[in-house]
Amino acid sequence: MAANRRTSQRLTLVMLVLASLTVLTLDYHGEASHAINHVRNAVRDVISPIQRGIAAALHPVGDVFSGTIHYGSLETQNQQLREELGQIRLKLAADAYASAQAGRVLSLAHLPYVAGIPVIASEVIGNSTSNFQSTVELDGGTSSGIGPGMPVVANAGLVGTVVSASSSTATVLLVTDPTSSIPVSIGGTGLYRAVGAGWERALTLDFVAGSTAVHRGELVSTSGLGGGALPAGIPLGVVRSVRVSSEGLSTAVTVTPLVNLDDVQFVEVLEWLEPG
Amino acid sequence: MTGVNWARLALVVAAGLILQVSVLDQITVLGAHPDVMILVAAAAGMAAGPQRGAIAGFVAGLAADLVINLPYGLSALTFVLLGFGTGLLRANLAAREVEMTQAAACAAAAAAGTILYAVLGALTGRSGMLGLVTIYAVVDVTLGAVVLAWPVLACLRWVFSGSRARLGLAVPRGGSAV
Repeated sequence: MAANRRTSQRLTLVMLVLASLTVLTLDYHGEASHAINHVRNAVRDVISPIQRGIAAALHPVGDVFSGTIHYGSLETQNQQLREELGQIRLKLAADAYASAQAGRVLSLAHLPYVAGIPVIASEVIGNSTSNFQSTVELDGGTSSGIGPGMPVVANAGLVGTVVSASSSTATVLLVTDPTSSIPVSIGGTGLYRAVGAGWERALTLDFVAGSTAVHRGELVSTSGLGGGALPAGIPLGVVRSVRVSSEGLSTAVTVTPLVNLDDVQFVEVLEWLEPG
Repeated sequence: MTGVNWARLALVVAAGLILQVSVLDQITVLGAHPDVMILVAAAAGMAAGPQRGAIAGFVAGLAADLVINLPYGLSALTFVLLGFGTGLLRANLAAREVEMTQAAACAAAAAAGTILYAVLGALTGRSGMLGLVTIYAVVDVTLGAVVLAWPVLACLRWVFSGSRARLGLAVPRGGSAV
């Protein structure tokens, strides 16, 4: 009886492992991968209204609640005054929040480096569900004109690139993700590749020769080369550190993104069409 | 597993997915966040043994993979192994009927599952899975699991309630499993 049960358990394990490996293999192939992406997008469309609702509730109300919670221990005879005070404070906090939000949106309206490129304003509604990927979710998708490959910027510079989009949401791969690779130049010269360094919230530059003069604080921006996936001149970050190898053949350059990727709320998606 | 068990499992997995995407993803410490889906797989093994732990892990993994832009099936593979392993752990756990022990084992299993996920991800060719990010993820998942293990275990016991008695796995109150 126990032996039968163990055999059954092992058989189940083997079958499920094989099923998982089959799904993994199918995901690497074109047609099956498209079908999986369709299902993923449909699920995102179902979940996004809930996600959007909770995000909207948590962002402004969380601060207001934490501010008003301190008034809970006031004396009973001041109850009415306290309620009025609470309501006034609530309104003030809401107004201040709305004003700050409006300021942040307006600051996106005059980005010099996106001149001439049509943009779609969007809001970040969620972070990556995986602990091993740096992405954010936007509240707009294909129905808003957002599609895969489009660059995403905030007021300070490049945030990332749209990697997938359902009709109502889009997923943006942040520039610091280890799979992100961006053709860049330093101070407008040279051609390098900026690769995400993961959770260090930084990027490292490839192809920098030891003889190249790179200085801390220099601006790193997109070069527009490498197939033109990104327009030229979008600020990406500033050089944080420069270290020449002991042989003097290569230089390790670390770049800090200009955008605080942990606190990005409003972005603009560039309707940039890759040449060709 | 009966139809009722499957329906309950689907409900718990869907609720877990919404909780993860809407709330837990926003609670980031050191760039990582708690993971309730991995806990569902671990708790399934703890609540119902290796076989149904693996099945529940597979279902939870496929669901989790729907909202992650990593290879589809990676979570499913990890959670199958995790659910099965936790089920085996439960069978060999001293004081396994003590809820505190089960919850602690679930939290430890979730931490181990996170490392397994990173290793399997690296084996599939995904860069940046191993390193400091793994440590941060393990810390956050474990802390989250300490808080969430007990309610998730309760949910998974509800999912599988009924099937244990029918399969003769239930131990009468005051009786012995040996």
